[in-house]
Amino acid sequence: MNIITGQIADFLKNYAPFNQLTADELTEIANNIRVVNLEKKQTLFKINDSLHDSFYVVASGVINISVIVDAEENIIDKCHEGNIFGLRPFFAKNNYKVTAKAREESLVYAIPIAVFKPLLANNSEVLNFLLENFASNLPEDRSSKGNLVSDGFYSEKQSEVQFFQTLAYNTTPLLATSDNTAQEVAQLMAESLKNNVIIFEKNGPIGIVTHADLASKIATGRYPINTPVSNIMSSPVVTVLENVSLAEAQLLMLKNNVTHLCVTVDGTDKSTIKGVISEHDLIAAQASNPGVLIKEIKRSLSPNELKEIRHRLTNLIQSSIQKNIPLTHITNISSEINFAILKRAVELSILELGSPPARYVWLSIGSQGRKEQLLLTDQDSILVFEDVPQNKYIEVKDYFLKLGKKTTETLEKIGYELCPFGHMASNMLWCKSLSDWIKQYNNWMNATRENTDNLSSIFFDYELVIGEQKIESAINNIVFENANNNSLFFDFLGNDALRKNSPLSFFKKFIVEEEGVNKDKFDIKTRALMPLIDSARLLILSHDIKGINNTYTRFKQLAIADPKHSEVYLNCAEAYLFLTKIRTLEGLKNENSGQYINLEELSKIDREKLKNALIPMKELEELIKDTFQLTQFS
Amino acid sequence: MLDWLKHINKDHPEFWKEYLAKFSKNSKRYVILATESTGDSLEKDVITYISAFAVENDAISIKDSFETILLQYRFLHDNHLSNEYIIESRLLKLSEPEALKTFVEYLGNGIIVGHQIEKDMTMINATLERLECGKLRNEALDIAIMHRKLHEIPEDKNFSLDELSDYYKIQKPEGESVTEKAYKIALLFLKLKHKLGLK
Repeated sequence: MNIITGQIADFLKNYAPFNQLTADELTEIANNIRVVNLEKKQTLFKINDSLHDSFYVVASGVINISVIVDAEENIIDKCHEGNIFGLRPFFAKNNYKVTAKAREESLVYAIPIAVFKPLLANNSEVLNFLLENFASNLPEDRSSKGNLVSDGFYSEKQSEVQFFQTLAYNTTPLLATSDNTAQEVAQLMAESLKNNVIIFEKNGPIGIVTHADLASKIATGRYPINTPVSNIMSSPVVTVLENVSLAEAQLLMLKNNVTHLCVTVDGTDKSTIKGVISEHDLIAAQASNPGVLIKEIKRSLSPNELKEIRHRLTNLIQSSIQKNIPLTHITNISSEINFAILKRAVELSILELGSPPARYVWLSIGSQGRKEQLLLTDQDSILVFEDVPQNKYIEVKDYFLKLGKKTTETLEKIGYELCPFGHMASNMLWCKSLSDWIKQYNNWMNATRENTDNLSSIFFDYELVIGEQKIESAINNIVFENANNNSLFFDFLGNDALRKNSPLSFFKKFIVEEEGVNKDKFDIKTRALMPLIDSARLLILSHDIKGINNTYTRFKQLAIADPKHSEVYLNCAEAYLFLTKIRTLEGLKNENSGQYINLEELSKIDREKLKNALIPMKELEELIKDTFQLTQFS
Repeated sequence: MLDWLKHINKDHPEFWKEYLAKFSKNSKRYVILATESTGDSLEKDVITYISAFAVENDAISIKDSFETILLQYRFLHDNHLSNEYIIESRLLKLSEPEALKTFVEYLGNGIIVGHQIEKDMTMINATLERLECGKLRNEALDIAIMHRKLHEIPEDKNFSLDELSDYYKIQKPEGESVTEKAYKIALLFLKLKHKLGLK
């Protein structure tokens, strides 16, 4: 055996489905591999190419899988190290329906189908894995893509997928015996936040109690709450085999008119209970729609589950943008989901640390606070807790710091990077009592000149994630009270807004980065978005408009409140939307925050549009200079 | 050309005649070669290790590879060296004539690619001469020269394999063996071949 063969086999061993093969099988595969080098943007195969005799594993780099829809290339999957792709030759005879192109310099291993196929025969798990992987290279929402590509390809696979798709379900169901009382069972359900309990005898399940049973039989008073559970359970319970498919489970539920299926070892009610499938599991298996995502977030128990959901949200955003759903809708939905994730992250910490010793509020600040977060950017948050007696203060603060720390860690695991400036509730400075916060805001706003070092404008965009609404209102009142005719403070904000470098040169050319890794790219965040965001905040504070955090809606509101300049505001609102869209697309394409735009990759039309979107900024700038007569700081 | 015709009557070994016969056709197969020798002297030093991978259709074929240790009993004995390590390793071990024969059969009419390939070639040719064969007739490419061509760098500048690997961001293999060296050269060759537009 060649040493390189050994190294390739070791590499493959780390990834599904190869981890299910024996060492000998892996060596056999590694021995037959061809190593292919792809330069940046080099195409491995494209739509309608005849099938290769191998499928591929990414050894290093990233391969984009894309389809052409309406003459536009849409990336439907990104394959990273260890991912497999190009599985079509396994399952079909006609030509490729997708294009595989290297996003960066990449190395892929080509595994000949002829070598791999014999292994499938005696390894059904590997086959299932390949099938699922083959199917997951498709956009989630198939019905809406009524075009040739999807017709020929997706529909053909969909039934197959449904047939093979196994369900993820609860494998540790709640169990009770028939002599438990209804109250005990209800207690059990309440404690573990589940809506069903399997009632068992000896080894087999004999019935199930769900929320519906409790509502219709106990809450109505038909049975007392200490009645044995056998009186109120639904019996018999419908049982199924372990590896039931999605389609099958759906049929069984419809046929028996039930909402839960009990999984047992041999599929009868005389064997060991393995788990319970609920309607929710079926829905979750079918699609990522916002409702399902939120529901799943509320039930998830670990950062990993949340991470998975956040990933699906990214897909949802991507497909929504491609379907030209208005960006305002997408932002609304995605911020709802983001908030649900944030909330759940705090809840998970509370579950671990125990109930909080005082009332508190967790506020998102910055882009999350403005509900403008489409991409995974960094996390910014603050925590305010109610004032407690001096002797308890340290204990309480300690608890909330721990809560902050735990939650930010969880969020980091999910994929929200830690704020590089430490603007997080885990920071001593930004986790304090209400009176301390009031002092802080007073300081910032009334003695702006002395307190500029730790003042960041993001503290003036906040939104409640979880906790006491009243505390947020208290902060709100302080901010607006202080803002009233506070010219010094507006001066600061105004200069802060205008300080950012202008996006276009005197000759209406984009000003791009001059050095660094992002050389020749356009910094859309600092040069275009931030000035708009900062200006909107300043104007909204000065107009005393409360409760609107979103930059787009802020401009819309301003147009109403200040009709004289409504045209400028409306232009800015539109410009803001367009800039966000460009940034989001760039971010999705490169899996980063999309801060730097590669102008050369934009189409000529988009480039012109981008330029036009920057023009209202100039007018807005003039407006701000006029209104606040910026002098003191400048 | 006439050189080998002159020698054709000389009694070459059978495998060498077969090797020569292969050159009636052109090859699209590249053989990426790395060797290890005891030194630079053509008389005193000997090859101890040959490793090679084939590149066909822009892909390295792991199966189409060659790897052998040459058992140089006489050299080791003359220089009072131990052969303990060689005996214990599990790799294919052949005597010098055997190794060269299998290598020449493996090589065929493929185009040889290597790093500082001149050295490898002269060493192999010297060994072949001892076996009463002629010189290798394959075309040979050097990746350092390819790199110079690509960037129009003057001839006198030399590039080590590590420098080239860093430049083209090739992942460092785990060890330092000749086979890993050959694999590294193969990866570099794929990149350079694409960039230079070689068919």
